[in-house]
Amino acid sequence: MHKTIALRIETDDQMYKIYTRILRIPPGYVPKLLLIMKLVTLILLSSLMQVSAASFAQLVTLKEKNVTLEKMFKEIRRQAGYDVLLSTNEIKSTTKVDANFENSTVEEVMAKILNGKDLTYTVEDKTILIKPKEKTLFDKVINYFADIRITGKVRDKDGSPMPGVSVREKGSPNAISTNSQGDYAITVKEGATLTFASVGYKTLEVPVKGRTVINVTLEEDASQLKDVNIVSTGYQNISKKLFTGSAVSISGVDAKRDGIADVSRMLEGRVAGVSVQNVSGTFGAAPKIRVRGATSITGDNKPLWVVDGVVLEDVVNISNEQLSTGDPSTLLGSSVAGLNSDDIESFQILKDASATSLYGARAMNGVILITTKKGKVGDGSPLISYTGNFSTYLKPTYDNFDIMNSYDQMSVYAEMERKGWLNYSDVVNRANGGVYKKLYQSLDYANGSVTPGVYNSPEARASFLNRYAYANTDWFDVLFKNSLMQEHSLSVSTGTEKSQVYYSTSYLKDNGWTIGDNVTRFTGNVRGNWKINDKLSFGLITSGSIRDQRAPGTLGRTSNPVSGEYSRDFDLNPFSYALNTSRTLTPYDKNGNLEYFTMNFAPFNIINELKNNTLELSLLDLKVQGEVKYKIANNFTYDFLGSYRYVKTGQEHKIREQSNMPQAYRAGVFPENTTIRLANRFLYTNPADPDAYPVSVLPYGGLYLTNDDFLKSYFIRNSLDWNKTFNEKHIVRLFASQELRYIDRHNAQFTGYGYQFDKGGVPFIDPNAIKQSVEGNFNYYSMQQWFDRYVAFATTGSYSYNNKYQLNGTLRYDGSNKLGQSQQARWLPTWNLSGSWNVDEEEFMKGQKTISKLTVRGTYGLTASLGSATNSSLVLRSGSTLRPRLSEIESSLSINYLENLELTWEKLYETNVGLDISFFKNRLNVTVDAYSRKSFDLIGAIRTSGIGGEAVKVANYADMDSKGIEGSVAGDIFKAKDWGWKSQITFGYNKGKITNLKSNPTIWDLVGADGGPQQGYPSRGLFSIDFQKLDAETGVPTFINEKGELSNNVYLQSTITKYLKYEGPVDPLFNGGFYNAFNYKNFTLSLLLTFSAGNKVRLNPIYKNSYSDLDAMPNEFLDRFILGNDVNTPSIADPRIISNLDGAYPYNAYNYSSARVADGGFIRLKSVSFGYNLPSKQISKIGLKTASLNIVSNNLWLIYADKKLNGQDPEFFSSGGVALPIPKQFTLSLKVGL
Amino acid sequence: MKKKILYITIAISTLSFTGCKKYLEQSPDLRATLDSPDKVSELLVTAYPHGNYITFCEAMSDNAEDKGLAAGGGEAENRDPWYFNDVKSREIDSPDNYWNECYKAIAAANQALETISSVSNPEAYTAQKGEALIARAYSHFMLVTLFSKIYNVNTASTDPGIPYVTQPERVVYKKYERKTVAYVYQQIQNDLTQGLLLINDSKYTIPKYHFTKSAAHAFAARFFLFKKDYAKVVEHANLVFAGGNILPNLRDYVAPSSRSMEYAKRQAYYTAASNPANILLAEAGSAWGRSYPFYRYGLTFNLVYKTIWGTNVSGGSWAYQLYGRDLSLNIPKFPEHFVLTSQNGNIGDPYNMIPLFSAEEVLFNRAEANAYLGNYSASLKDLNDFGSKRFIVSDANPVYDAGTHAITEAKINTFYKPFNLQDGLIQTILDFKRVDFMFEGQRWFDILRYNIPVTHATADLKSKFILGPNDPRRVVQIPAEAELAGIERNPR
Repeated sequence: MHKTIALRIETDDQMYKIYTRILRIPPGYVPKLLLIMKLVTLILLSSLMQVSAASFAQLVTLKEKNVTLEKMFKEIRRQAGYDVLLSTNEIKSTTKVDANFENSTVEEVMAKILNGKDLTYTVEDKTILIKPKEKTLFDKVINYFADIRITGKVRDKDGSPMPGVSVREKGSPNAISTNSQGDYAITVKEGATLTFASVGYKTLEVPVKGRTVINVTLEEDASQLKDVNIVSTGYQNISKKLFTGSAVSISGVDAKRDGIADVSRMLEGRVAGVSVQNVSGTFGAAPKIRVRGATSITGDNKPLWVVDGVVLEDVVNISNEQLSTGDPSTLLGSSVAGLNSDDIESFQILKDASATSLYGARAMNGVILITTKKGKVGDGSPLISYTGNFSTYLKPTYDNFDIMNSYDQMSVYAEMERKGWLNYSDVVNRANGGVYKKLYQSLDYANGSVTPGVYNSPEARASFLNRYAYANTDWFDVLFKNSLMQEHSLSVSTGTEKSQVYYSTSYLKDNGWTIGDNVTRFTGNVRGNWKINDKLSFGLITSGSIRDQRAPGTLGRTSNPVSGEYSRDFDLNPFSYALNTSRTLTPYDKNGNLEYFTMNFAPFNIINELKNNTLELSLLDLKVQGEVKYKIANNFTYDFLGSYRYVKTGQEHKIREQSNMPQAYRAGVFPENTTIRLANRFLYTNPADPDAYPVSVLPYGGLYLTNDDFLKSYFIRNSLDWNKTFNEKHIVRLFASQELRYIDRHNAQFTGYGYQFDKGGVPFIDPNAIKQSVEGNFNYYSMQQWFDRYVAFATTGSYSYNNKYQLNGTLRYDGSNKLGQSQQARWLPTWNLSGSWNVDEEEFMKGQKTISKLTVRGTYGLTASLGSATNSSLVLRSGSTLRPRLSEIESSLSINYLENLELTWEKLYETNVGLDISFFKNRLNVTVDAYSRKSFDLIGAIRTSGIGGEAVKVANYADMDSKGIEGSVAGDIFKAKDWGWKSQITFGYNKGKITNLKSNPTIWDLVGADGGPQQGYPSRGLFSIDFQKLDAETGVPTFINEKGELSNNVYLQSTITKYLKYEGPVDPLFNGGFYNAFNYKNFTLSLLLTFSAGNKVRLNPIYKNSYSDLDAMPNEFLDRFILGNDVNTPSIADPRIISNLDGAYPYNAYNYSSARVADGGFIRLKSVSFGYNLPSKQISKIGLKTASLNIVSNNLWLIYADKKLNGQDPEFFSSGGVALPIPKQFTLSLKVGL
Repeated sequence: MKKKILYITIAISTLSFTGCKKYLEQSPDLRATLDSPDKVSELLVTAYPHGNYITFCEAMSDNAEDKGLAAGGGEAENRDPWYFNDVKSREIDSPDNYWNECYKAIAAANQALETISSVSNPEAYTAQKGEALIARAYSHFMLVTLFSKIYNVNTASTDPGIPYVTQPERVVYKKYERKTVAYVYQQIQNDLTQGLLLINDSKYTIPKYHFTKSAAHAFAARFFLFKKDYAKVVEHANLVFAGGNILPNLRDYVAPSSRSMEYAKRQAYYTAASNPANILLAEAGSAWGRSYPFYRYGLTFNLVYKTIWGTNVSGGSWAYQLYGRDLSLNIPKFPEHFVLTSQNGNIGDPYNMIPLFSAEEVLFNRAEANAYLGNYSASLKDLNDFGSKRFIVSDANPVYDAGTHAITEAKINTFYKPFNLQDGLIQTILDFKRVDFMFEGQRWFDILRYNIPVTHATADLKSKFILGPNDPRRVVQIPAEAELAGIERNPR
């Protein structure tokens, strides 16, 4: 009859992201003596050059071996007209040389003759005098050092100067870096070789060969992810020219939004085809991310996160619906919550089957790769950068919401009183109550008092209520604060050719938007890369994070399909409280003390509650990762990747004795009140004495509930990569990999009764508490474990002809234990074929200048995902029998799921066609992808004959098709020396339809805010009870009910859903973003607009059959039906009307009717950022390299949303618990580089 | 070099493939394995239907009258069967739910039997095999009784039965056949007789919730009664209690100790394992206990005067104590066991303990069989044993007076004016059963067996709904989804 559905949401761990541009240190530290030497060299060189400056116009040609100098000199005289005299014995005129001169100048001839000898020559009046070199002191110095000073400029392939490039004399510690103009000067030994290195570029070796000016151009290195022209799949790095899939790369700097801590939220509006829905804004809760829409009906639809090549496992599995429930476990839902956003080098979003093919059977929902920063190659000196973010949130205000003020509210209560809803006898002992209950309680005589609190006269009563009528409490002001969130992040990067180290640490402290929450987080990350020799290199990463978070205490949400309500006992969510609590209630009484009203028969004050009923969450996440790269041959490498991750989280729900819940467990017993005692459902009736009064199981103390989750995960991957270019035209690449994943999850829960928080922490355990839970078959503690084991083998081959035509094929074979102990179901092969054509490489494209790049891509392949079912073999669970007497309970084993021989993975065939075009030397880039996906073997709950013993089976019985198109247009609209304007538009459109689903949902399953699946509709469609009109006499809403009749009675558990009205999909069909960045000299300004459209949103449920004096009503109640007036807002029914409803809940049904739906489309000014880079002249005086200030505002303005929403956020599900909407925030960000 | 690498690669992949098998054997969660007699016993704890047939059986019977609009609109589980309509609900207390729960119990029994047939030491599992066979027979028996035509020796071999399942289901949609009522009865009899030989009471932790020898005999007595094999009914009924002595095990409504019980305690004792009258109990997910006093179609004062406050053959007054008001008349029988699903609130699943077999039923079955066998005195003795625990002079003088209350041939003849004594005895038994099993659904089985017509009139007496002797609606409709398994539904 009543079934609970325990739903969970995740809170968002917001990752704080800072990025400081790191500049190289210019070469200014050379010791002084050496500097002098260099100066001397320079002077000397110029004097030598002066000598040879007297030019010889005549040329000499002589080709003869073993010719004597005498003959040479004669020829010089004959051809050039110079006499040559020898004034030394060092060489004789008979000395023989090999002459090979053709139109050579006399200098060249002389240089050849004197080469390697300690001689020089002078030219005077057509006479060349050869004489010994005069050895000056300078000469001796030069000889001693034998050094050459070389200067030059380093540029990239576009011709832009490259600062920070390491220039090194090969085989010596001598190294410097280029300055901000890309210039360098280095003194090296004669015959040295210079190496030019920079992260992301191919290291260039240039032999000096006597040159003094060496300008070089560096090329990007395909093996290092830096440039957008490289696509990383997490397994391989592939040049974009050769890549055949659909992927988007976005650098950490570009994605960054100061003040937004969650890495996943940074992708919002920036990547075509990726939708990010902020269903909750609480720290730690993940947003709802979809890459190309939903692919599964019951399974995960979230993308796979891969950090530095390793799949990031979720600590707790949070299902699609759980995301929006507000349950405490959602705070652990964001798998990327432990990442410091400052550490992120880049994101890579793999979208189609080709891009994700190497992830095989886990890739159905797309893959998001995160690459973290490495130490940069330099001269080994540290680059230090600091970022500080200081954010403040705006309090929500009633201006944005449609809630009655206290005066109007009180007048509604007055009507309710007239209609008989607030009678003394009903209200005085009611479980929950506001001002009226307080009034009636005050009519009583207090113990020993001779006067009542309030005289029972109309005047006295009116004057009592008067205070509350004018109270107009601003709950937002009481419960929210403009608090400070600060984030400090420090990173040090250092590196030489052979070893690079990156270290970072960050500290985040959020005092909380509300008075009930706060967060502290530390992260640490060390990454080192070392090269042992040309063949062998390895790297190690150690990263960890610690989080301590406080949230308002909450219990899981329950759904009541009978009345059509979601309920959550003892919910303290400040946002829902402010929206749902009457403004007539006052937090403080006349004397400034906390004022209590009644909830669950016990005193309640939200401020007291948020102080005494808290949820404390702690999280420790540690990862150690290692990689080894071995070059077996020049074009053949072996890679090893291994990682170990350990996560420990604990939730402590502390319900102190001063809070409402423990007092509710005692209400009616202490103090004694028989009426309450019989009505209080938290009291315990002893089955051995069922006729006695119920007793309290919690006579002293409060409750202490814990919920701990652990995760242990190992990951190992071995891969071989071979590539070869034949005849400079045929590029062949083969890749094979084998991987293994091992994950153990563990959850433990415990309910501690009678913990005395204020008496030294000693539990007072009433045995009845345990007895009650055992008799009620409610386990007061539990422990669960889950084991995931995976192995996979993958191979991929690609061939490219002349950079024009590419063909790629992948095959992967996955094995998992998740389906249960069946040999057949366990393994799944997936495959993919793709190709691309670089049209711009064709001859006919060479002549034009408009299109600089044009690639057409195509993909077809199979990807898969594990569904939620695990019963490829029989699943038995143990439990105890559900019987009332302890003496009759026995242990039992029950069939949880029958064996299903047909169980398999959820699969998807995807066809993708893509087009990349760049115009005007890559200034304007357009990418468009269109795809069609056919999901099949999707897991769904289906009804069967029941004859096998399982009426509802979870099996592969659903198919879904989806189609979409997505694209981005990005470019530099203006690019000048001092100013520029960059712009990017992304959009994605995805429409899915379930083509086969044999489920048989009830009305209640389909009308909730999350919608439900039905054949012929999207994976989650929003359905409504078809509202018709208000009853002309009573103002009670009427609908087309499950029988197709006009009625006010809708049976929500009916499975006849054909009379429901389909509103639209729950997930947006269309979404995207518009990003603009301007820069002028040292100033930058960026704006991000996001938009989404095509979905429907369920308005918050506000109507009920009956209201209490606690309810807050929206202003639309002012227009409610009163007497046959022609309005569309239902009446407040009187008790007589309700009793005539025969147990129907038309008002609850109205909440889920077609009248309570709004369009979900919106345009939001997501982020505005204004920055200033301090001029380097000024800051260098205080020893800084760089410094910048940014002022950022996030979620500033909801530009457009359906008016029917009346302030309700179209993205946010107001589900209470720990869920809070995303706040409007302002951040001051300071970045400093040392 | 290249060859070397190839060999190494092949070696590594072969090794890892063979290693994988073991690696992937790990079960994904903490699930149980069925590897010992104890565990098979634990599985058999779930081989009893955890659904409740009372709600719809009672509503279809003549034990339910319309209380009128004042009692509310009526829930589908109560309203639809009262109107002899197919129940438009598959929640607890619906026929669909009972169907599913019976087959779920059968699946547990079949799983146990399959495990037993595959172990190397089946002799260690004898008792478990016995229990599984009888449990399987019981669920099928209840299904064939409700979802097929009642056993009629002349038509049983053509009347469609219900699928008799003997193998665990391994595919999502398996096809089944209904076969015939006769076939199903034959299967039940096979399982029952085979199981009876194997049962061992000492293997049970909580015997009252399992087919002990006596429970199995009680089931056999009912089975053969339905099959009209009366000698066997007597034989098995005599084996239920030591020496065939049923009297000490009957519920006592006369003793002061029972009359003085308070409501909740009385209610709790009715379904307690410690109550000797309960031979077999089963827990069932059901809202019956909380709802039956309040259901719109239930016990009215009109019906009270026809039954427990009406005249009877003994001349005494029924000792039952009636509670409630005119819209909530009830005799306390089913306390609710409410299983909370979380610390949160009062939402959970309601459970009732249902007495599947009781001493009273055994007594009535023996009395009925003896009546047909011509052992009238034995039959009368049983009825008088029963009467001694049920009849009192008056509420003011709550004692049984054997002298005035004894049921005799003469009294039967006067009261019923029957065709013969046998007929009179049967009428007496049916009337007693109707009253004694009020709120327990058993009346419906007698209505089926004796083709008794049922008339339901609305409270305003404007409409009447009559269920004639051969009305197809006597056979409860099979769930619509059963068509997926190739099962044709019952005619309407």
